[in-house]
Amino acid sequence: MTTLETHYKKIKDLHHEEAVAPGTGLCAGCGGLEGLRLGLKELGNDVLICNAAGCFTLLSVYPFTPLKGSWLYTTMGGPVPAAQGVRDALDIQLSRKTLTEDDNLSIVVVAGDGSSNDIGLGATSAALHRKLDFIYFCYDNEAYGNTGFQLSASSPYGSSTQTTPSVKFHPVGAELNKKNLFDIWRAQEPTYIATVSPREPIDLSNKFAKAKNLVGPRMFICMSPCPTGWGFNPKDTQLIAKLAVDTGIFPIKEYFEGKVIHTKQPRRRLPVEKFLETQKRFSHLFEPERKSDVIEQIQKTVDKYWEPYE
Amino acid sequence: MFRVRLHGRGGQGIKTASQILGSAAFFSGFQAQDFPLYGAERRGAPIVAFTRINRQNILERGPILVPDILLIGDESLLEDIQAAPLCGADNFTAIFINSSRLPEKLQENYSLSTLPHVLDITSLCVKFLDNGSSTSAAIAAVGARLLGQIEFPALKEAVELELNAQGINSDLRKKNIDLAEEVFQLLTPMEVKERPEKNITSSKLISSEQKPVVLAAPIILEPGNMALRKTGNWRLDRPEIDYEHCNNCLICYARCPDGVIGIKTDGSPEIDYDHCKGCLICAQECPGHFIKTVKESGSWE
Repeated sequence: MTTLETHYKKIKDLHHEEAVAPGTGLCAGCGGLEGLRLGLKELGNDVLICNAAGCFTLLSVYPFTPLKGSWLYTTMGGPVPAAQGVRDALDIQLSRKTLTEDDNLSIVVVAGDGSSNDIGLGATSAALHRKLDFIYFCYDNEAYGNTGFQLSASSPYGSSTQTTPSVKFHPVGAELNKKNLFDIWRAQEPTYIATVSPREPIDLSNKFAKAKNLVGPRMFICMSPCPTGWGFNPKDTQLIAKLAVDTGIFPIKEYFEGKVIHTKQPRRRLPVEKFLETQKRFSHLFEPERKSDVIEQIQKTVDKYWEPYE
Repeated sequence: MFRVRLHGRGGQGIKTASQILGSAAFFSGFQAQDFPLYGAERRGAPIVAFTRINRQNILERGPILVPDILLIGDESLLEDIQAAPLCGADNFTAIFINSSRLPEKLQENYSLSTLPHVLDITSLCVKFLDNGSSTSAAIAAVGARLLGQIEFPALKEAVELELNAQGINSDLRKKNIDLAEEVFQLLTPMEVKERPEKNITSSKLISSEQKPVVLAAPIILEPGNMALRKTGNWRLDRPEIDYEHCNNCLICYARCPDGVIGIKTDGSPEIDYDHCKGCLICAQECPGHFIKTVKESGSWE
């Protein structure tokens, strides 16, 4: 099933130099930070990060920065327009020879699922239309995590958030389905799209290594288990990232040259409840009584997704 | 008025403790105010919460700068310059520290002006809840007991109310109430030295002169300087690599979100304890279980 070009086969092959210094104020066990750390290792230090407001606001807190490259902080809706502005400025300087090719930077947008699915999507769509040359990294923890875990368009059906708790008249919690950002992006045919998981460092690094040498919009969605918002012990971050893949809830795939390929397809999918039961945000599906219809509905959605591929 | 300031780490239940204490005071006929200080820090990072308790209406607002009671839920905070839990404490301030050490030793080591009240809350939480970091009910019980003006039934009602609001199930609420009762019995009320109330006077308006914008423009000259901020004291447990058995597979290195596991020249992994936040992913993910976890207990002794 794997047809990904492989630069790396073993963990030992990965770059040893860290691109994100420790000391950040992000939660212990943050899945998104792990994704960013592995991704930036691959992209190197000649990057300019346009960071949308979100959890990763805490990456750089004046006068400190964990990054070796540059950082531009923007509003939640603004990282992609910022990326366009910086790209244009660099291109103009390069064409006027006021900057040399050595001074060139890759532009990386770092945004959460709230910015990516809701507030910043319009501007992203416009940039995809213009074929802006940039890399987009969306850390998807399926809610507005930084402000206390409120519903975003990425919050899955059946999950409890601050704004959609399981209550008498809305026992399910979030009643809407998660937006399919991958396919929304794909409709505009960017150069490259990939979903990545922090639990699959080799797959993740290979995808970044591949995207690095391409031109045009290159998009990443990173599954980001969130101990604080999802309600689990931080040590289980990677375990939950693994279960999301093994149950088929989070498909690991890439889109390149018109084709979608699953780079890590589970051989035998586990039932979705193996994933759901690990987190407090789904605990209302099991207690005080089991909501079998909701769990079945989630399973059906996952089954329907995989049907054409199995 | 009693001003209680609570210090702890994110995820420890310090905010909830301030709420329980506030509710318990309210059920005992007091007026109460409780709130945390919201900042950009999270699980494991220093957290501050406040409770004001008074017989009359409380008109005072904002953070408590000079506390009457300091409840410190994590001893390692005393060494944290940014958390500075002792800030504003004076001879009137009663200090409580969650620690397994003797009060005299703590007083000497941290140069405290008064002898602190001490109880090993973490061990009690492990005993009652099987979780050393769910300290909300226990810390609130300490506050209620030290004050000496809140009876246990009011505390019990408050624990029930606040934990229910957090979605804690009845079985765990019961265990928390038992824990609170145990704490209540282990401590005796302190001698309350009520601070003379100060009259609040209006302050003068200060007008500042216009300076060039560049003075305030944030410029960071050193890339990667975040490493100067040590997050090692966020840890409740410490991962330790058993080098005798470690086969250098480096899975821990790949899986550490903060990138604090480096690779030594001989190819073996090494944990940077200055920055390790203690998420324990490494211990969980080590295929051979060669990383063990040890409870943190401060760096002195």
